[in-house]
Amino acid sequence: MLELKDIKLSYGSAQILNGVNLSVKRGDVVSIIGPSGTGKTTLLKCINYLARPASGTIAFDQIRMDYQRADKAAVQAIRLRTAMVFQQFNVFKNMTVIQNVMDPLVVVQRKSREEAHAIALQELERVGLSDKREHYPSQLSGGQLQRTGIARALAVRPDVILFDEPTSSLDPELVGEVLKVIKDVTSSGITSLLVTHEMQFAKNISNRIVFMDRGVVAADGSPTEIFDTPSSPRLAQFLSSELAFQ
Amino acid sequence: MDLSTMIPELFSALPLTLVITFTAMSVGFCLALIATTLRVRRVPVISQFVDLYVSYARSVPVVLQLFVAFYGLPLLVILFGFQDFITATMAAMVGLSLYHGGYLSEVMRPAYLAVERGQHDAADSLGYSFRQKMFRIVGPQAIHIGLPGYGNSIIYLIHNVALVMYIGAADVMATAHLIMERDYNQFQFETYLVLAVIYSLMCLIAWLIIRFFELRFAVHLSKEATSIPLKTAAFASV
Repeated sequence: MLELKDIKLSYGSAQILNGVNLSVKRGDVVSIIGPSGTGKTTLLKCINYLARPASGTIAFDQIRMDYQRADKAAVQAIRLRTAMVFQQFNVFKNMTVIQNVMDPLVVVQRKSREEAHAIALQELERVGLSDKREHYPSQLSGGQLQRTGIARALAVRPDVILFDEPTSSLDPELVGEVLKVIKDVTSSGITSLLVTHEMQFAKNISNRIVFMDRGVVAADGSPTEIFDTPSSPRLAQFLSSELAFQ
Repeated sequence: MDLSTMIPELFSALPLTLVITFTAMSVGFCLALIATTLRVRRVPVISQFVDLYVSYARSVPVVLQLFVAFYGLPLLVILFGFQDFITATMAAMVGLSLYHGGYLSEVMRPAYLAVERGQHDAADSLGYSFRQKMFRIVGPQAIHIGLPGYGNSIIYLIHNVALVMYIGAADVMATAHLIMERDYNQFQFETYLVLAVIYSLMCLIAWLIIRFFELRFAVHLSKEATSIPLKTAAFASV
């Protein structure tokens, strides 16, 4: 359903993505792993055009776009069918938890307030935040903020959900509650892309692992293939250092 | 002459002071909004001109800006083929609007830039249009950040309105001088004291209004803010 071809992107003289190819099938749960600075997050942000590649193409079901001739309508169409969960949560600070979840439904999707409210309640229940719905972000812990972010992403009923290092800026004791929610989301069948450093978690929830190194996809396979029989010395080295660290 | 005739006479000039203030406030606000937009979006050439304008408004003494407006505007009007119809009051309004607009844009721009990049990203990723993003997410947060600076700029504006007497506009300050000259400089201290009270009151009222909005926009920032009535909080901080 989603196919990225030959994505290239550089910031100044630093080449971040060096011709990345990635295709995702409906229902896939794909974890993207790799050393820091290899463009995992950037790749994810290319999908919804928060990062702007210099070249490459994207095909999202019927929507096709060449990044050299990015057009507003295609970008918007892709954004309406994807949702992103951010490393820094990026919950709207001037709104309560429930307003955060409702606002995109009312403003972007033009749903009635009643309908948006009902959906928001349902999603907040799912992430376990019903009792915090009238709180402002400044009153919440990191784990609660990230669960708000996940509820907001789920509420728009995306075809693909993009998790950008969702637990990397959380205190260690809060990581568990967020991973539990993500696991619940991914097991519900929604197509998911997850950039993460939680190796064990990636192995457990994904049906595919993509290993990125120096701006390209260096390995791509099932969790068993990647973790148990690493195909390259780079991958083996990366895995041993990550797993030793955990 | 005594206080009972002097005070009403001073107050009779207050409407003009207020009209100049409010004109500069509203025109300056619009100018600042345009200047900020152009400076943030970086349109080639136009943005450089706006930079130049802001630097003029912020670095040239306000008295000098008023003289430039007073002597420059008639030349401009004649250049465009009209009769010179510029009065001192009009020059004062134009001069102060330009000053306030430039000054205020340097309050708005940092406030806008202080809103985290992530807030833009989240809104963009969800499909908000630029307008929707500005009105619902970035704008309200930028207002909250910029309000204290806005309060200061209003107070500076009120102070600077006192300078319009140098180009001959008949505001409260100019009227005070007229009264003193007419009465052989008898009650100088008293007159200036009344003037000081008038300016203090104007600033206090402006400050209270802005403080009210500051608290309203700060509701999301602390647990306490939602439970303290706004009025109590505003007066506690005076």
